[in-house]
Amino acid sequence: MGANIYRNKKPAFVFLLPAFLFMAVLLYYPFFKNILNSFMHLKQLGASATEFNTPWYSNYQEMLHDPNVWTSVKNTIIMMLVTLVGQVRIAIVLALMVDNISRGKQFFRTVFFFPIVISATALGLMFNLIFLYDKGMVNQLLEVLGKQKLTDWKAEGIALVTMMAPVMWQYVGFYFVILVTGLNNISDELYEAARIDGATALQRVRYISIPLLHNVICTCSILAVTGALKVFDLPWVMFPKGMPLKSTFLTGTYMYYQTMETKNVDYGAALAVLIVVLGVVLAKGVNAIFKEKDY
Amino acid sequence: MMKKRMMAAMLAGAMVLSMTACGNSGSTGNGGNTGAAAPAAETKADAGTDEQGSAPVAEEPTGPVELVVTTTFAGEDTNAQNYKDAVKAWEAKTGNSIVDTSASADETFKARVATDFETGSEPDVLFFFNGADSNSFIEAGKVVPIDEIREAYPEYASNMNDDLIPASLVDGKRYAVPANGIWEAMFVNTEVLEAAGVAMPGADYTMDQFKADCEKIKAAGYAPIAAALGNIPHYWWEFAIFNNQSPATHLEIPENAGDEIGQTWVAGMNDIKELYELGYFPENTLSATDDETFAMFTEGKAAFLLDGSWKVGGIVGACQSDPNDPATLDMEKLDKFDVTYVPGKGDRKATDLIGGLTSGYFITRKAWDDPARRAAAVNFVEYMTSDELVPKFAQHGASALKNAPEVDPSQFNILQIKAMDMMAGATSLTGVVQDIFAGDCRVSTFDGMPEIVTGRVAAEDAVAEGLEIYHNQ
Repeated sequence: MGANIYRNKKPAFVFLLPAFLFMAVLLYYPFFKNILNSFMHLKQLGASATEFNTPWYSNYQEMLHDPNVWTSVKNTIIMMLVTLVGQVRIAIVLALMVDNISRGKQFFRTVFFFPIVISATALGLMFNLIFLYDKGMVNQLLEVLGKQKLTDWKAEGIALVTMMAPVMWQYVGFYFVILVTGLNNISDELYEAARIDGATALQRVRYISIPLLHNVICTCSILAVTGALKVFDLPWVMFPKGMPLKSTFLTGTYMYYQTMETKNVDYGAALAVLIVVLGVVLAKGVNAIFKEKDY
Repeated sequence: MMKKRMMAAMLAGAMVLSMTACGNSGSTGNGGNTGAAAPAAETKADAGTDEQGSAPVAEEPTGPVELVVTTTFAGEDTNAQNYKDAVKAWEAKTGNSIVDTSASADETFKARVATDFETGSEPDVLFFFNGADSNSFIEAGKVVPIDEIREAYPEYASNMNDDLIPASLVDGKRYAVPANGIWEAMFVNTEVLEAAGVAMPGADYTMDQFKADCEKIKAAGYAPIAAALGNIPHYWWEFAIFNNQSPATHLEIPENAGDEIGQTWVAGMNDIKELYELGYFPENTLSATDDETFAMFTEGKAAFLLDGSWKVGGIVGACQSDPNDPATLDMEKLDKFDVTYVPGKGDRKATDLIGGLTSGYFITRKAWDDPARRAAAVNFVEYMTSDELVPKFAQHGASALKNAPEVDPSQFNILQIKAMDMMAGATSLTGVVQDIFAGDCRVSTFDGMPEIVTGRVAAEDAVAEGLEIYHNQ
């Protein structure tokens, strides 16, 4: 009787059921409903769609000719590259440096991780002030350095950089903490042996730390790429409606704009489907590129 | 074994219940948007009479009732504090309570209200725009006409002049009891004008004079016009079109961009483009938010600001060291601001203003069908639209009261008095056409304004696109 309870798996299903129902009602039903809505005529949030578009795939046709879709996909891909190259690489450098110091490790971990706990909306408002045209922090600094004319950091040519810099800054600490944890798992004996063999600090990083961090870097890269697809709040706070001239739309912000601002709800649903497809394709691609190794 | 199964079942049940409870928690999102749709309201601020006869207020409900109320009296709205005070007083008087879900009026707010109605989570009482923005829930029969309310409460809104209560665009019935009217005009930072050697514009101000003044202001190193064309082009949109029409034709929606009225819309868009090309808007007008350009205006870096009567409160707030404490108002600073007429052109005189009674209190069908909340909702609206409270909210604007009390200037600050003087010289008050032309039809010329002024999209194409959507709605 006593051993029997370990063989009987039914109670486990009972415990899994609420979570399953929760996911089914709040995730999978809306997901499939959204796919259906993308083919329907729907111009009001919360309203029931009663008829199909003519033709039923017209939203997908429109997407092909909508320059803002291409802008948002292009910007999202740039955002992914920035997160990969910027966030993960900077995090690797910071983690390696912090791992090599004997005192203050905890301090730097806290300092670098701190931006993660701040709401992205609050950060957006803060960076709005930093990049403010009329005497924001950056323009004041430039004025002190002798620049006469104010710089519009949100102007068309530079807006993407202004948008991506805070996003990059916010998440570096997240990957940093993961990588530091990975470094802690590398045995000190390996470094000790290398040191005895005459390896320099750079060689120890090149031939021990980086290879043994491979799987952790892969995990960070996958998180960074998939995370870039979801970035929404900070860009929307800093650049609402894709300002200026709709040049800063990301797939998420454009979907929100179409749904909430222009009330083109069915088109927004189609854009949401595009985001899912893009996410699946990119996640597959990244998984293929960053294959984990067995050691 | 049985005991363990029972325990497992109970735990699972508890989890489901807790999730259900979470799902049931009410959602009260807030948003906000500008714009109200109003048919032409040929009204002027009522001078009022000596009589103070308030209409009888509906019988107060027995027992405490909780009413959900959504209004636009929030954020920088001039009446945000008046509303809070009035709600507090009504709660103290009746023992009822208000769940306030008010938010600044903007497009997000409008979307939220529409969604609330669609999903059956509408408030009991709603202070909202009475133009096209209210069409969807009026079509769905989710608000109660004033006449139907009067069948049960004959004195409901009896202190209002019915002719001044705008009718719905859907069925011509009156639904919303107005509290205060709005106007749109041009605020002026006189300090900038003095620095640029420009005289304060008057009632005969023309667009040509305006452009000449802008040139002087620009030469003096200031931004002539504080406007964020990439964010809130609404006011310039409205007046630019109005300037190519007359009060008689302003509320007509063109059939297409090529017809007579359509051409005035195209001309209006091209007028804004011309001002942009002349460099009269701030350098960052396409990337700035409305808050940023408003700050430029209040900080003496821009001369002119087109906005509405609600902005008086925003300017006063900017002149207070503590925006929440009227005692900290810097009167000297406030005196440097003035308000005048938007420069005229063609058949539109500068003194022909945009405005009217564009919002009002709706009672929803949901509250009406609940006997307890019905009485409380009626009582609340009667209280908020009583002869005593409406003048507090209307201030320098219009109202629909039959017996508006005499305005006591000592109760108002210097900018409000200047606004009253300006309103006194108005020759007409025409409704807001963008409130009729509402929804996604506005996107091509509102959100598309940067593309129009930079020449990436022709004004004619943008207008045509919007009209096509409007006529297909």
